[in-house]
Amino acid sequence: MQRALFPALFAAGVTFLLTCLVIGVRLEQEGPNLTVVGADAETWSWIGFAVIVVFLFQLFQQPLSRLKQRLPSPDVTGLLPDHKLRARLRPWLIALVVVGLFVWPFMVSRGAVDLATLTLIYVMLGLGLNIVVGFAGLLDLGYVAFYAVGAYTYALLSEYYGLSFWVCLPIAGLLAATFGCILGFPVLRLRGDYLAIVTLGFGEIIRILLNNWTNVTGGPNGIGGIEKPSLFGLEFSRRASEGGQTFHEFFGISYNSSHKVIFLYLVAVLLVLLTIYVINRIQRMPIGRAWEALREDEIACRSLGLNPTVIKLSAFTMGASFAGFAGCFFAARQGFISPESFTFIESAIILAIVVLGGMGSQLGVILAAIAMTILPELAREFQEYRMLMFGGVMVLMMLWRPQGLLPMKRPHLELKTS
Amino acid sequence: MTETSLYVLQQLINGLTIGSTYALIAIGYTMVYGIIGMINFAHGEVYMIGTYTAFITIIGLLTMGVGSLPIVMLLALMTAIIISSTYGYAIERVAYRPLRGGPRLIPLITAIGMSIFLQNYIRLAQGSRDLAMPALVSGGIQFGDPAVFEVSISWMQLIIWVVTLISMTALALFISRSRLGRACRACAQDLKMTNLLGIDTNRIIALTFVIGAALAAVAGVLLGLYYGTINPYIGFMAGLKAFTAAVLGGIGSIPGAMLGGLILGVTEALTAAFFPSEYKDVVAFSLLVLILLFRPTGLLGKPEVEKV
Amino acid sequence: MKLKHGSFGKTLIAASTLMAALGVQAETLKIGIAGPVTGPVAQYGDMQKIGAIMAIDKINEAGGINGMTLEGVIYDDACDPKQAVAVANRIVNDEIRHVIGHLCSSSTEPASDIYEEEGVMMITAASTSPSITEKGHQLIFRTIGLDSLQGTLAAEYIKDNIKPQRLAVIHDKQQYGEGLATTVKNLLAEAGTEAVMFEGVTPGDKDFSALIAKLKRNDVDFVYYGGYHPELGLILRQSREKGFDAPFMGPEGVVNSDLAAIAGEAMEGVLATAPKSFDQSPENAALVEAFKARNEDPSGPFVFPAYSAIQVMTEAMKATGSTDPYELADHLRANRFNTTIGEIGFDAKGDLTEPTFEIYTLHADGSKTPVSE
Repeated sequence: MQRALFPALFAAGVTFLLTCLVIGVRLEQEGPNLTVVGADAETWSWIGFAVIVVFLFQLFQQPLSRLKQRLPSPDVTGLLPDHKLRARLRPWLIALVVVGLFVWPFMVSRGAVDLATLTLIYVMLGLGLNIVVGFAGLLDLGYVAFYAVGAYTYALLSEYYGLSFWVCLPIAGLLAATFGCILGFPVLRLRGDYLAIVTLGFGEIIRILLNNWTNVTGGPNGIGGIEKPSLFGLEFSRRASEGGQTFHEFFGISYNSSHKVIFLYLVAVLLVLLTIYVINRIQRMPIGRAWEALREDEIACRSLGLNPTVIKLSAFTMGASFAGFAGCFFAARQGFISPESFTFIESAIILAIVVLGGMGSQLGVILAAIAMTILPELAREFQEYRMLMFGGVMVLMMLWRPQGLLPMKRPHLELKTS
Repeated sequence: MTETSLYVLQQLINGLTIGSTYALIAIGYTMVYGIIGMINFAHGEVYMIGTYTAFITIIGLLTMGVGSLPIVMLLALMTAIIISSTYGYAIERVAYRPLRGGPRLIPLITAIGMSIFLQNYIRLAQGSRDLAMPALVSGGIQFGDPAVFEVSISWMQLIIWVVTLISMTALALFISRSRLGRACRACAQDLKMTNLLGIDTNRIIALTFVIGAALAAVAGVLLGLYYGTINPYIGFMAGLKAFTAAVLGGIGSIPGAMLGGLILGVTEALTAAFFPSEYKDVVAFSLLVLILLFRPTGLLGKPEVEKV
Repeated sequence: MKLKHGSFGKTLIAASTLMAALGVQAETLKIGIAGPVTGPVAQYGDMQKIGAIMAIDKINEAGGINGMTLEGVIYDDACDPKQAVAVANRIVNDEIRHVIGHLCSSSTEPASDIYEEEGVMMITAASTSPSITEKGHQLIFRTIGLDSLQGTLAAEYIKDNIKPQRLAVIHDKQQYGEGLATTVKNLLAEAGTEAVMFEGVTPGDKDFSALIAKLKRNDVDFVYYGGYHPELGLILRQSREKGFDAPFMGPEGVVNSDLAAIAGEAMEGVLATAPKSFDQSPENAALVEAFKARNEDPSGPFVFPAYSAIQVMTEAMKATGSTDPYELADHLRANRFNTTIGEIGFDAKGDLTEPTFEIYTLHADGSKTPVSE
């Protein structure tokens, strides 16, 4: 106990220093004059309380940690049924989830469906970045650039050439992939963190260019009135555009605006399912194996005759194309885009989704994407404390499960000696 | 001197000023990276907190009636350094130390989370609007023919150069001469080996966070006085620029961070001088990409040896 | 500007307990107030919020509307277009059919499309981008003048009174600032005054020394700045320090007591187009007192427009005896209203029929005086 006294006092002192000036005193601007005001007694008593809590916690840290060791650590894998049963149940489970995904929106409110659509965009982005960061181990901090390319491709093509969503979707993916390839080519010889900062730089460059190229992209005004996707030419609006036909007229039902929201959601589900399917396939192909091999040991890869540049480039391009799809869909859902939606913090959040999910694990990334989009929405109740909690939870989650929610497991065989 | 050369001289002066503060903040990134190989994204927020502390101290002292400018500035500097270093230490202790030894990406995410947290923490405690303080140091020296182009250096710019120079020299001496500095260098060389030799590496790592935070606080005080305004969001951009400077110079190298900061500041000023200033960030980042293409480990970075 | 935490919540609770205590079995009509509660521009969101809440409270005190009491529900879009869409969908979902907001034009634009589709009436008290009302929407109104009006007014004043030889137009690359700056530049170019410099600065930037050196080099004798006060304040402050002392002019976004704090002495004599300062007009004196009693600042540019937005909406409800947005919209277009921002009417697009801007000279103590022609 006595040995713990000094560290406890030290920690309490640190806590006091952290809080005393920043919370205990407030700067107040009264017209041109700046003044300092001491906080009220309530705030100070909170500071005192925090100092005491830290002190006591440090003082009894050892008994506490011993107590904690006795508690079972969170183990998600233990909750799942055993391997064979899981393999048998898997197709059924997947079918159930897919059916659920399609039926669910008809039973809940419009706001929930819309939020789910946003979540699915992040799932798509997370899965795409997962290829680059999770599989190939390349740290990309500028992923949002490709997302922007996809979004602007659709917005511009729709605005200037009147092309429809379904025509633009593959174009957006291709164009984003091309960008990934062009940007990737020179930077991929950089390693680790240098790559990170260069991609970050590219992300910013693309955003600033979109912002400054006012003649084409509308600059900060963005592009508005982007068309929503249609179902085989049937529109989901109240009134049909010239020469078009609306969904509710075609089927002779009354207009209901939630049809559009649900349709957008279903499109998002299809895109996500497609993404998952494609990535699952690729992961099992030689190129997918090469990504992981490269991540684990570049030198070994090279000595086995694999070309690291081509492999990295393919991961970069593939990841970018999914961001392009997501961007195209984002523009359609939003109906309005501007460079503000593609800032660095967006890249950071997508990266957080990948890491939080457990790099390389698809299910983990999906869960993390859901957590990261639903969390701020749930925290809406807390109004101005919302982002504070978001940041705090991000730190705590990583401390709690540094390996991610569902770390990636690779199928492996073991020779048993006995 | 011709008009153009005077104009370029003025822009160089502006660039060097902003560049020296980039360099001060960049040291924090580079030292941490040099030792534990992680990017401390929350470092920009430490700088922001330093600025807030300085503002609070200065305004507090002025209301108390302490009028002597050097005393006010010195006290503000000291308070800012103490508080910021405490934050640097606490961030390391809470968000990074428990994750040491794990995959490198994990602390990066906690750092981003920490950055969001600190930004909003200050916003809640101090409000989100811009706060402004009257200029404490005004005036400067002008030279050049007013009819051609008048070059001006404000006293505050001179103060920034002098204080930056002193801090950098102090840091260089500390790293090269003191026992602790030697321990820092040892840690940067080989963390495990240093530990085996009986040095408390945890303490050295904490020390690098503290030193980085202290220098960021110095930058915070200087820039706070120079610009006279603060808000809780200034840390992000400053951090990003300083990080770019650190990578430009070769991350992990202290002279590299200084050089990178100055180059970045001067590039920005010269870009803004001859092109529309909205493109200065584009040019700054493009320069970074170019330099990395030809020197993949930055200007003064040691080429990494690939180990099997 | 920042209110004490929860002061708004407390007001709501107080209001509702009051109603309960009186035993009024009134129906409540929810009105959405959408704008930034978090993020860098939260302080502007605050202005809109306190104005709207004050109006709602005043109306409830006077017995409500058609036997209903009003309730303001706050939605936070953080000035992020993506969140604005989510918020708009949530509002539709919560079956709220009357909205005050949003604040930033970039959020208002995507959100207004959803409101129009879903039959929700939206009155913005702050978004000044012309494109919001240009789509022929039926249910979208605003109680604040357009960017273009401000730009025209500024350009005319510069042309007639300043007659600059070497004009510079600077903007902050945001929808609001760049839009205004472009209008001013183009109008002046038509009148024969070409700008020698037209460029953007990065919002949130602190160092403008490079820009100022360039202004000096170009011998600029008049600067029009399109943007908000934090950047202009720093530009002014650094200009005077570097010995660049050409006069500046800005839009209503810079008229803020914080500009005086940032720019200090350098602010003296800056010109600005601004809505009439409603908190100075004698008819609003009682209301200003009411704001002060709540420890709120009534001087922000969006406080009274937000108050008036609630006023016209409820006036229309009274007159039509309905809450149906389409009926209300017809009524708003057909009539004139007496509000805290003066007597106003709406045109077919939903904009105010008369501009509410004037040209002011700003002073170092944060006050402003109208420029006498």
